[in-house]
Amino acid sequence: MAGGMLCRPYNRPVKGEMYAMNCAPILSVNNLKTYFFTDEGAVRAVDGASFAVHPGKTLGIVGESGCGKSVTALSILRIVDDPGRIVEGEIMFRRADGGEPVDLAKLDAKGGEIRAIRGGEIALVFQEPMTSFSPHYTIGNQIVETIQLHQDVGKAEARTRTIELLRMVGIPRPERRIDEYPFELSGGLRQRVMIAMALSCNPRILIADEPTTALDVTTQAQILDLLREIQERTQMSVIIITHDMGVIAEMADDVIVMYLGRVVESGPVDEIFHRPQHPYTQALLRSIPSIFAEPRTKLPTIAGSIPHPHNRPAGCPFHPRCADFMPGKCDRHEPQLRPVSASQMASCFLYHEPAEAPQQS
Amino acid sequence: MKRADGGAPLLEVRNLQRFFPIRKGLLRRVVGQLRAVDDISFHINRGETLALVGESGCGKTTTARCILRALKPTAGEVLFQTGAGDVVDTAALPKRALQPFRHQMQMIFQDPFSSLNPRMTVFDIIAEPLLASGIKSRDQRRQRVENLLELVRLRPEFMQRYPHAFSGGQRQRIGIARALALNPSLVVADEPVSALDVSVQAQILNLMLDLQDELGLTYLFVAHDLSVVKHISDRVAVMYVGKIVEIAETNRLFKAPKHPYTEALLSAAPKPDPRLRSQRIVLQGEVADPAQPPAGCYFHPRCAHAIDRCRSETPKLEEIQPGHVVACHRAREITLKGVDAQANGKPSA
Repeated sequence: MAGGMLCRPYNRPVKGEMYAMNCAPILSVNNLKTYFFTDEGAVRAVDGASFAVHPGKTLGIVGESGCGKSVTALSILRIVDDPGRIVEGEIMFRRADGGEPVDLAKLDAKGGEIRAIRGGEIALVFQEPMTSFSPHYTIGNQIVETIQLHQDVGKAEARTRTIELLRMVGIPRPERRIDEYPFELSGGLRQRVMIAMALSCNPRILIADEPTTALDVTTQAQILDLLREIQERTQMSVIIITHDMGVIAEMADDVIVMYLGRVVESGPVDEIFHRPQHPYTQALLRSIPSIFAEPRTKLPTIAGSIPHPHNRPAGCPFHPRCADFMPGKCDRHEPQLRPVSASQMASCFLYHEPAEAPQQS
Repeated sequence: MKRADGGAPLLEVRNLQRFFPIRKGLLRRVVGQLRAVDDISFHINRGETLALVGESGCGKTTTARCILRALKPTAGEVLFQTGAGDVVDTAALPKRALQPFRHQMQMIFQDPFSSLNPRMTVFDIIAEPLLASGIKSRDQRRQRVENLLELVRLRPEFMQRYPHAFSGGQRQRIGIARALALNPSLVVADEPVSALDVSVQAQILNLMLDLQDELGLTYLFVAHDLSVVKHISDRVAVMYVGKIVEIAETNRLFKAPKHPYTEALLSAAPKPDPRLRSQRIVLQGEVADPAQPPAGCYFHPRCAHAIDRCRSETPKLEEIQPGHVVACHRAREITLKGVDAQANGKPSA
């Protein structure tokens, strides 16, 4: 059988855990490091992130500001701006044609192959639907352009397809809306158009970077529903990036928790929320205000604040704020992401001993 | 609607309206009115926190700005009990006459990055209101700023630094210190934690609770995040397209909402537990346009319970239980789900 690691989605039921476990990931990121080389020194935006995305599944990347979640997405698409650079690691992506996986990290960022993948096989939905469109062109114009860039179709057909897409994402009267400009649409509608554009080339992975952060809760619920519905229909994989644990709980199958460029914990969504292992995940979950809480109760907090990227602590980046800090260990050695149970991994010395020599900071 | 102890509320808003003219054409003729705040009434008792919640464009910030008289209300009364014990209508006073009362109402802003002047030191930022209120002696101001920084749990040495040296959470503390500089009785906080990281949000919420206990502050807390509101407020007022649709004591509103919009809001809020998935009510359609609101109840086009009456007659706020007011024709006949019902027996601890 050509390419033994290819998955065969049609041989087995698509639903259920077995499928994901037996199936090779569509995207696997190994030890990715993306640094920004500024005048004041290198900022390690992503510092050794590893994770996998499975076909038809949703991976949630969660973390607070500066944790590297967005740079991870930009790295996958190879649109990291100067002075940022991928300095190490691989991003293995299985293309639709079924050949050997390609390492996106090694591709020429301006080359033909990544340009075919970007927007074609891997699409991106941004946080701010207002600034991600050009204000000078109608939304139809912009989607038609995307379609024609990746597929060999005529203008008329691309337009028909655009109307179809707009209808699919729930835009009322798409044949009229197609000729409107972005400013004429509300935030929720703009985010729908953004999703329509991302879907225009039938991507196999949709990366949604804070897709609902700028939206109101009732609109957020609509957009999350839409994403789930489309995923069910198309069986694409989704990477959802957010700071909001509520959105993760709602959407993700698997979760990685990031802190200062590192993956501190990963696992299935239920484990992450009900059996968190890393002290950061535990503290983060405790500190979220809950709609079930008694009024006027104090929240457990995480001491201190997220350090400035230039003052990254040595050893485990979370140790100055950690309740389980072990002097001599956590401040001198960097923990590695290791399995802590059958399905969960954590990067913490509570679960493994440091390597022999302290690492240079 | 007076408090049980009989004391007059610190703030009472009666039939507040604020319209913005919509102008069009070469002559900028007024072609319509955007009804940002459309006839709302509520009160805040001394020492309590009233949360004003709703989605963007519902008029919650406009309401806050009208109360502080950053905007002049189109109509209505804003009755504020001053330190001297008498009640003034700040909506009716001319701007100059407001000066003596200004320091009694202060504001905490949403964005700690743009609300502090980057060219001023922390001392200058916090001391500015002191200077404006006539404290001439620099030593006196210095002493007061030191106390204020300690109050918000910042080190007094930070005084000489500039805002860029601080994290978002620390900046928000500086903003709070500035708001408290003149010993206000009413603090209006407009989304004070929504720009902060989750781990820092909790610190600021706790600080606000502590300060309220220490200083006896009264908060008007404007927010869209219901879980934050649940933590901080005694009572909650829900707004939709310029109108208040429901006011109740916090636990009541979350457990037994009486307005279908409140129910939908509670349901749509993402809950940090994957086991509670897919129990959401997803509202169809969009928020009504405050420039052209629908006839009758503004919520009726999205409401699952709407009947003919809702399409023609605007519901009035009615007290259906002591302290629980709702603007819905069907509030008494429909049963709605609160958060505990949605949690399927999940303990509320």
